[in-house]
Amino acid sequence: MASVELQGLTKYYNKRRALENLSLDIHDNEFLAVFGPAGAGKTTMLSLIAGIATPNSGTIKIGGREIGGLAPADRNVAMVFESYALYSQFNVYDNMAFPLRSPKFKLPEDKIKERVTHHAKVMRIDHLLERPIQALSNGQRQRTALGRALVRNPDLFLLDEPLSHLSANLRHSMRVELKEMRTQLGTTTIYATHDYREAMSLGDRVAMLNGGHLLQLASPDDVYFRPASIDVAKFFGDPEVNILDAKLKSSGGSKLSLHMLEENIPLPLPPDVVQVLNEKHTSKIQVGVRPPDVRIAREGDKQAFHATIYSFEPLGTRSILTLKAVDGSLVRALVDGHQTFEMDRRTQFRIDPHLLIIFDAESQRFLARSAEFSEEP
Amino acid sequence: MDSNKGIFGLFGSILRNFVLFLYALFVLFPLIWMVILSLKPDEHMVTTTFIFSPTLENFRAVFGQEGFLRSLWNNLVVSSLAVGLSLVVGVPAAYALGRYQFKGREEIAFTFLSFRFVPEILIIIPLYLIYQKLGLIESVSGLVWVYQLISLPLLIWILRGFFEDISPDIEGAAQLDGYSWWQVFFKILLPMVKPGIVAATLLGFILCWNSFTFALQLGGASMQTSTVSTTRFLASDTVHYGWVAAAALLSSLPGVILALLIQKHLVRGLSFGAVKG
Amino acid sequence: MSTASPTQPRANLSASGKKYARQKALRPYLVLAPSFLLTIGILIPFFVAIFYSFTDLTLRSPEYEMVGFKNFVDTFTNPDFWHSVGVTVRYAFFATAVEMVLGMFIALLLNHESAFSRFLRLILIFPLMIAPVIGALIWLLITNPTVGILRVPLGWIGLGDFRWSADPDWALFSLVIIDVWIYTPFVVILVLAGLRSLPKAPYEAALIDGGSAWFVYKNLTLPMLAPVLLIALVFRMMTSLQEFGIIFATTKGGPGDRTLSVAVASYNEAFPYYNLSGAIPMLLFLWFMIYVVCFILIGFWRKAQKAASGAV
Repeated sequence: MASVELQGLTKYYNKRRALENLSLDIHDNEFLAVFGPAGAGKTTMLSLIAGIATPNSGTIKIGGREIGGLAPADRNVAMVFESYALYSQFNVYDNMAFPLRSPKFKLPEDKIKERVTHHAKVMRIDHLLERPIQALSNGQRQRTALGRALVRNPDLFLLDEPLSHLSANLRHSMRVELKEMRTQLGTTTIYATHDYREAMSLGDRVAMLNGGHLLQLASPDDVYFRPASIDVAKFFGDPEVNILDAKLKSSGGSKLSLHMLEENIPLPLPPDVVQVLNEKHTSKIQVGVRPPDVRIAREGDKQAFHATIYSFEPLGTRSILTLKAVDGSLVRALVDGHQTFEMDRRTQFRIDPHLLIIFDAESQRFLARSAEFSEEP
Repeated sequence: MDSNKGIFGLFGSILRNFVLFLYALFVLFPLIWMVILSLKPDEHMVTTTFIFSPTLENFRAVFGQEGFLRSLWNNLVVSSLAVGLSLVVGVPAAYALGRYQFKGREEIAFTFLSFRFVPEILIIIPLYLIYQKLGLIESVSGLVWVYQLISLPLLIWILRGFFEDISPDIEGAAQLDGYSWWQVFFKILLPMVKPGIVAATLLGFILCWNSFTFALQLGGASMQTSTVSTTRFLASDTVHYGWVAAAALLSSLPGVILALLIQKHLVRGLSFGAVKG
Repeated sequence: MSTASPTQPRANLSASGKKYARQKALRPYLVLAPSFLLTIGILIPFFVAIFYSFTDLTLRSPEYEMVGFKNFVDTFTNPDFWHSVGVTVRYAFFATAVEMVLGMFIALLLNHESAFSRFLRLILIFPLMIAPVIGALIWLLITNPTVGILRVPLGWIGLGDFRWSADPDWALFSLVIIDVWIYTPFVVILVLAGLRSLPKAPYEAALIDGGSAWFVYKNLTLPMLAPVLLIALVFRMMTSLQEFGIIFATTKGGPGDRTLSVAVASYNEAFPYYNLSGAIPMLLFLWFMIYVVCFILIGFWRKAQKAASGAV
């Protein structure tokens, strides 16, 4: 049983507050992605669970058992550090064998050999067992660190940004591998990353941290499509979501439409969104538009906003376009890469109101997003 | 890192080498002369400068002199034991200062350094009285204890730097792997600072070997170290300069040889870890 | 609501959690304990010395009386004491100054790869690894009027009967030369290491922007070298102010009292004359001087370190 319960965790490093009153539950066998920018508190959270740091306040339970008084060695938790933390005086084999030779395990050498070679094969480094650590590439070191964590069959896996020091290609292939390993692992895992793609792809649920606080705990889809606050929306997604001011206007009966960018182009809001807005009596809102949802429209389209091209970044299959709207706001769009755009050229774009994320302007928190998808003509 | 002093071409290069040559002469010549004198027989001492028939009789005489051989041995014993004690006590101290955050850390570290601020004579005076009462005047343990003032700050500060260099994740990883903190210390951290331990030990030994003031007063008659007994050769009525040179040479050999061994870490050692070589 | 804060560190932890945290917090102190015990034992003489400075103890008899500040007053009003302080300061100042300048100069020259500079870097170490006393002895040997080698070249320039340390006017000079011979390599080694660790980028930028060699030296090299230079300065001042062996072996403070530094003077008071009440106040003053100088210099060093790392 390896569920994890964090209750009111707070950690200070001198005067700096790394974690503030963090509470969260992780289910047994769950793969939780902990997402957040640098300094958010991800490493601190993992260190506290592992026991290599002690909290100032709060409790940690693993499998229902309180572990605050246990040394790291007694918690049966394995951690892969961002820096890998391999023992430079040993070769790969001895690094992986090290946990099994500890007083906690004291396995006989033949059993150790069995386990180490098995996991080395899984990590595809069995041909490197004799190599000293200094002679390994980054990717090989990372696998060794993973292997060292695997040999122990722990109750809980902690992975601290394991892919951040790998080259882009390697990161992608390792992500796929990790996903495969996941199903074989069958162990509760907490995975810290600042790359939202890793969080979305690997996590059963995503916990978003910033400034030591938990901003949202939900499925990846929910965090992406229904971010709990504007901050979450901004962090989770690349290019960054567009946050625009908007006005609500009644458009007959119980219908509401949205006006933004100081253009008189009403966007009719879907009924489920209108219902939420009416229930909450919100008047001031802000709107989140994800760049892929900004579509270049044909000239003469009456429903399109006007803009000039502010910047154009061709990136192969897709391009990032920054558009300057009539009121001066910059709107980012992710468009098909086959078109070219010239700077300062006039153009127009449309936004499907079903894809808008509505936030309360004062609390900055999520209000509504339509569950329906309209059909694009 | 190339020229930052504006050396212009070949002329500059010649000038530079000339100046360096002069300095090399300044450094080496006294040493060379010491070697020469030690090989010069008494008869030629005053008459010739460079031309003479070398002889080993000075060395033989020096070894024959009462106590010199013994003093070399004393120095070896005292210096080794002193450094050994500093190691046993100082390595854990360096570990604590280098890897833990705790109140008073910098103050404690500075206190160890400030032992070097105390003039040796100031310590000797009361220590002489105390040792007399304790019967430690002409003893090995007396000197070993005083020598801690020399080797302990050095060891602690050098090793502290080496301990600080180790990534904190390593300790965490080893603990998670199932080891208690002192097992981590012995199995993982100590091997990692081995080069530092070697450098600090050798440098500490050299400093103890070369120590004069403490040994002078607290060694008494029977516990002279070679550094002290060498000076006595010059003080006698009939001075055999060849003997003085031979004794000086013998006394200096360990320092020079060991220094060659620790070249790589010399900078770190000499600056007490303040400057990373 | 969290109840922990920087001022109230541990709240709402489980009992075992608190115990574990406490154990961990105590660990460094426990580990430091042996070294403390060892050194406390050695510091006791220091405090004993302070105590004795308020008495009239001599080594001749075990009885003594408390005399208050009399010893200090006697010492500080004794012109001979201030003469010794002057000798000490002059010795330390000149020796250190020459070593710093010469050391930096040689290090700059040595900062080029060549077989010769590699060789020199190696033999540099030797004067440093010899006991200073023996270094002084060696210099006595080479300046000796009968068997010393220096009388030969000096004879060529008409200084054949230069009496070095036996000459009252030149005794301090001779001692400073010995100190310089022994300790300049210390500065060279440190500065060389500092030069080697200088980043290339600022120099390349200066090359492109076009700065004279002096400009580069003054605005780039010196500030970035400042930490190393200050460390060298601290160690040199600390050692040369309390230098005993060199002076004792060469002149014993003579001729007369020309080279009678505080260290030698106090030794003379304490051991042939057994006059502790005279010796200890002198030494306490010396210690105080060293402490203050080093404390200030280390303060500069900390600032220089911060500045140097910001410059990169």
